[in-house]
Amino acid sequence: MRPDFWPALRSPIPWALLALAATMPFLLPNYYLHILTITLVYAALASAWNIVGGIAGQISLAHSLFVGAGAMLASALLVKLGINMWLGMVIAAAASAAMGAAVSFIDYRFRLGHLSFALITMAFAEMAEIYVTNTEFLGGASGLFLPKDKGDLLAFQFGGISGVYWIMLGMAALCVVVNFAILSSPLGYNLRSIRDNENAAQAIGVGLLRNKTLAMTISAVLTSIVGTIYARYLAFVDPYLLVSPVLTIEIVLFATVGGLGTALGPAVGAILLAPLGEILRGHLGGFLPGLHYFVYGLVVVGVILLMPAGVWPSIRARFTRKNAQEAKAS
Amino acid sequence: MDELLQALVQGFFVGSAYGLLALGMGLVYGVSGIVNFAHGDFVSLGMYLCFAFFTAFALDPYVSVVFTVPIMIALGALVYRFLIKPIAGRQLLMVIQLTLGVALLIQNGLMMVFGGQPTRAPSMIESKLFLVGDVVIRGAHLVACVVSFALAILLYVMLQSTDTGRAIRAVQQEPRAAALMGVDVGRVQVMTFAIGVGVLAIAAALLLPGLPIQPTQGLRFTVITLLVFVLGGMTNFVAIMLGGIVIGVAEAIGTIYMTHTLGQLLPYLIFVAIMLFRPQGLVWRS
Repeated sequence: MRPDFWPALRSPIPWALLALAATMPFLLPNYYLHILTITLVYAALASAWNIVGGIAGQISLAHSLFVGAGAMLASALLVKLGINMWLGMVIAAAASAAMGAAVSFIDYRFRLGHLSFALITMAFAEMAEIYVTNTEFLGGASGLFLPKDKGDLLAFQFGGISGVYWIMLGMAALCVVVNFAILSSPLGYNLRSIRDNENAAQAIGVGLLRNKTLAMTISAVLTSIVGTIYARYLAFVDPYLLVSPVLTIEIVLFATVGGLGTALGPAVGAILLAPLGEILRGHLGGFLPGLHYFVYGLVVVGVILLMPAGVWPSIRARFTRKNAQEAKAS
Repeated sequence: MDELLQALVQGFFVGSAYGLLALGMGLVYGVSGIVNFAHGDFVSLGMYLCFAFFTAFALDPYVSVVFTVPIMIALGALVYRFLIKPIAGRQLLMVIQLTLGVALLIQNGLMMVFGGQPTRAPSMIESKLFLVGDVVIRGAHLVACVVSFALAILLYVMLQSTDTGRAIRAVQQEPRAAALMGVDVGRVQVMTFAIGVGVLAIAAALLLPGLPIQPTQGLRFTVITLLVFVLGGMTNFVAIMLGGIVIGVAEAIGTIYMTHTLGQLLPYLIFVAIMLFRPQGLVWRS
């Protein structure tokens, strides 16, 4: 660990922000709490994707596989076989880890370039959607309904929106902390060297297979767990939402807008865009369906053209520049 | 046996249109090194333009091509000049994400204008059927096949023996040397992107008869195009047309001979296999 990881974790600011966020269920009406919960889901997903897509620079479009495994598999195990959803979550996470490792192995074994990797993972994502919507056990095209949430924690029920909100808050915070930890650890340096020049990294002894697999597995497990919690929150588990390649595209765009490869950027991107999308859909979706995605498209194109590094690095650069100037003046 | 023959013929015809879709992508990739993830949404846009001309003036899609091609060419030029060109030199990931953003814009722009319900733009030819031996040939498929091959040949001849074509090939092979020889590289890149999108307007009209259209279909066309594009080794014209036919036949055979799921999966499985074991494409010359 780089020395600034532990002091940052001990600093009061993130804890204060977290505590403030945790009070929201007491302050906000359910509609806004719902928007915040969805935002946290996307913040967690974008942060988890960032480990592979941002830090390691591997454009994975297969993350709907992991969300789908977490959501559909854990739900199917509960609904069809009566397996406790906590256990289902672990099984789904293990399955996601195995799929992630397999994808990494294929990437390593065939030395796929960035473009090939993006295309192959996109093909996997398409195949996953076709497979799930045609498999009766996983709910087929019509999806699955989870039993009513009675607040029984042992049965993976969190007692309505407040409970899910807290769980998701913890999960999103965990994803950001994992990003931060990876960035400050040898793994983070290895991954960044792979991102910037794979051949050079290998030449100085950075193990490609080991590092890529580790990054993909961590990302897959986190993504899968978020998927399970999201499924529990939605109660109706819709494959066209949760195993859709469009979901991955949303995640990738949020992470890009926020700032790829930074610990906080992807979460910032989700916090900026997800509420905007939810509110637009809620208020204008009736007579202008698609407006929120249209706005996403505009924001993405604008951010890439104007702030190619993303919103968060730009904000940070502005602050540090101001600090530097003040330091010089004083 | 008849079923097999029927599948092969139908796959061949539809596949040639897929090949045409991927030619545009191959052209742009060769010249600018970018992969356009909004490709399928441009196809979608072409179809909806035909639909708009049909609802406004009752024009047959085959006729409204006269108007949709110039519109799409202009649009392609604008998109390249103002959106893609500023970031073209940077990481590949940037361009992919930008074009994904453009895909969202087109898809949901269509959704807002035309609504999400599936709709159709009928053509006078779509119900025409021909019987050759025991094989039924749909008129629209025949037109699609003939026009696709004609266009592919036209593009090929244009590339081989006109000054514009030579400039395009020069930029494809060595942009710096081409620039030193007085080729305006920027102009060639805008032009090829515009041509690539213009071709899609034609492909859209060819695929349209009998096909219900909806705004969210773009991604599927993008994926089919990418499959064909990669099968064809990305820049080789002949191989790209061949790749289109492979995917078309795989789709047709898959739907007839295999379980529903496996049939739908087959094109993707072929794609992954080729990608892994023959990354240079089906046809490869050293």
